[in-house]
Amino acid sequence: MAELLNSEIKEQVRQVFADLKEPVEVLFFGRAEDCLYCEDTQNLVREVTELSDKLSLRSYDLDEDAETAAAFHVDKAPTLVLAAKNGAEVQDYGIRYAGIPSGHEFSSLIHDLLRVSSRDSGLTQATRDFLSKLSKPVHLQVFVTPT
Amino acid sequence: MLLAHQMALESEWVQAEMVEASEFPELTSQFGVSGVPDTSINHGAARVVGAVPEEHLLAEIQRVVAS
Repeated sequence: MAELLNSEIKEQVRQVFADLKEPVEVLFFGRAEDCLYCEDTQNLVREVTELSDKLSLRSYDLDEDAETAAAFHVDKAPTLVLAAKNGAEVQDYGIRYAGIPSGHEFSSLIHDLLRVSSRDSGLTQATRDFLSKLSKPVHLQVFVTPT
Repeated sequence: MLLAHQMALESEWVQAEMVEASEFPELTSQFGVSGVPDTSINHGAARVVGAVPEEHLLAEIQRVVAS
């Protein structure tokens, strides 16, 4: 199987990953049929998570593992969930990628992994203050295209 | 994209999903997405087109939450 990331990119990402702090678990949800980018997405995230021992990957099938998919509110394939791993416990923050994170989104993925690993959103105090008072769900969907 | 994910990391009430538009054409056309990035708040209750500063997205979320 051909690697998606060349050795130069891997080395760059490995250097960035030196700043990883706490463990992060990536949950991949795919589907055996009618999913053009499932295989590439799974391979991509496997190659990325292999670059640090602070990152781990778990793969699920949207149909076969329907209960897990429902528990994580995942209804699209491929979907990546970026979660904190605290010992045996997986803490879901609600961070999702639907579709392959390629091009510009690849760099978003790498930075998101660092953020989740730091357990710190890095937002301004004003934003943190507002979010700390939230008492109802906010669902953000950001539509992007590969660049 | 990072910004929406940062908000999800900060608050358990926020869920943030990056959607690769060309892979999910039905959803994309349902929202009438024409330019990217296009951020939908609570399934279209508000829309933010373009890459916007943190204060701008925050203001739109505040408006949706208050309504």
